Amino acid sequence: MLDFFDVFLVQQLLNGLAQGLVYALIAIGFTLIFGVLNVVNFAHGEIYMLGAFAGLLAIQVLAPPAFAVLLLVAAAGLVLGVLLERVAFRPFRRFNDEASLKSKALREATLLSSLAISIITRELMQLYVGADMQSIPQAYLLMTPIQLGPLSIASGQVLIFVTALLMFVLLQWLLFRTRLGLSIRAVSNNRLGALHVGINVNHIIIATFAIGSLMGAVSGIVVGLYSGNIFPQMGFSPGIKAFVAMVMGGLDSIPGAVISAIVLGLCEALSTDFVSQGWSELISYALLLITLLYFPRGLFGKKVERV
Amino acid sequence: MSSLSRSTRPVLLLAVLWLLLGWLDASYLYRLASMALVFGLLAASANLITGVAGMMTLGHAAFYGVGAYTAALLSSQYQFSPWLTLPLAGVTAALLGGLTAWLTRRLVNVHFAVATLGIGQAVYVTLLNWVDFTRGPMGITDIAPLSTASPAINLGLVMLVFLLCYLLLERTIHSYYGNALRALREDEQCVAAMGLDPARLKIQVMVLGCFIAGLAGALWAHSTRYVSPGDFRFSESITILAMVVIGGLGSLPGAIMGALLLTLLPELLRSLGDYRMLVVGSIMFGFIMFLPKGLIGEYSALRVFRSHLKALEQS
Repeated sequence: MLDFFDVFLVQQLLNGLAQGLVYALIAIGFTLIFGVLNVVNFAHGEIYMLGAFAGLLAIQVLAPPAFAVLLLVAAAGLVLGVLLERVAFRPFRRFNDEASLKSKALREATLLSSLAISIITRELMQLYVGADMQSIPQAYLLMTPIQLGPLSIASGQVLIFVTALLMFVLLQWLLFRTRLGLSIRAVSNNRLGALHVGINVNHIIIATFAIGSLMGAVSGIVVGLYSGNIFPQMGFSPGIKAFVAMVMGGLDSIPGAVISAIVLGLCEALSTDFVSQGWSELISYALLLITLLYFPRGLFGKKVERV
Repeated sequence: MSSLSRSTRPVLLLAVLWLLLGWLDASYLYRLASMALVFGLLAASANLITGVAGMMTLGHAAFYGVGAYTAALLSSQYQFSPWLTLPLAGVTAALLGGLTAWLTRRLVNVHFAVATLGIGQAVYVTLLNWVDFTRGPMGITDIAPLSTASPAINLGLVMLVFLLCYLLLERTIHSYYGNALRALREDEQCVAAMGLDPARLKIQVMVLGCFIAGLAGALWAHSTRYVSPGDFRFSESITILAMVVIGGLGSLPGAIMGALLLTLLPELLRSLGDYRMLVVGSIMFGFIMFLPKGLIGEYSALRVFRSHLKALEQS
């Protein structure tokens, strides 16, 4: 069967899929927060980075089993999400009237404040741990190759795949099958309306940040365990790719973001056949611009009136 | 003071500064002054686009970088004189800016910001990887200075360009055209209803702003005489945006104050070398949080400029 395919190509596709799922992992939390608040959270890449460091710290201090590391990082992500919301977003959410919800100034203020927080976090981490890569202890590293005929996948790639699937399914379950999810969707649909039917909008927003950041932090440690490298700047590049995926997916559609992220990863992996590593970065920006030009609402976005 | 018109005052200020620096005669101060002026231009042009016309740009360093590389390549490879590289750098950056605006003319709010972020990253990746043309991460050396006469003359030339651009921007912002741009920021649909073409306004404002950013890039290339892709990263775009925010979105003197603050502060506190982006981030956060109107808010800037206009009309 595999004789029909170029083994190298299929291998590249697999690697691309794994890379795309990394972007998807980050994009899921990112999109959730955008969907509810309608503001871009530029600090999501830093949550991802902090998640990886939290995992590293847990490994170095406690040396727990790998599963416990993920749980600890998830807890750290929850706390970070609540903190981030308190510091960068709450101060600009003082008003609940129609005009201020649509106000460009407030939206820009949160964009800038999350940008500022992300710079501060990254630079502080860099001062504290240095700019160098920190390596994960060998025992935790998920690099064991698994052979599937002529193909090989690293165990870390399997973990990434499983985590992404799990997160996606859990999030969809949470959003569409639980009361909290119902409230989240209500707030994202119409904040004032949600307020009027007695939903505690503040709590819902905090919960959204906590869930989104939990997912961001877990993706950080999962990728860290696979790649083995953790450093303060690690959130920047995948963060921007996740951002691109979110925009391509239509800003508030989680399945859209996941599909776009996988497409991005596949395109990057395939492009290395034709161009060098450095140039393949350009592919995602080109895709971003093409999407914005021809599908200004994203590939999977709702067809709504622009405000 | 009221007898001085609003354009003679910056001229006098810069002349005094130039004489003072000439008297002190320290090459470090010259470098610092030209850096502050270049960033002043960048912040002023970003203020036109982001502050006045309301188009949040997260890729301003791209236009700055294109200008700098145009000037650097023309001057080091083809021995063009700075008198030619300067306008050509402006034109290349303006072309890229116009193209960006034309492509993104229908995008609003965060979509425009994302598109400019994409353009910024694309330009950075190109500068970094097109090794045959841009020499990649090694950068370009041997760029001719603006004038071979003396460092003081060089600084004087930078000041001259700065001044011309400042006056151009000031006249643009405080005119009926500037009001149209402010209207574009507040409500695009209303602008269209008034019979103005928002897409056209956007393209025009990007062409003008990016022309000035390109000029700033050329000045930077000629005054440091070395450019590398590292100078035109995303963090540079953010620094420029932070300058505009600190000064007060929409306020031209504010943008220049912000640029002075963010270029001089890390330099003056030498020990802060490693903390540069940290300082930028913290100052930016502090301003958004506690002083969202910036150092010199748009309203007060407008009031001052308009009272001068009124005084001029009455006299």
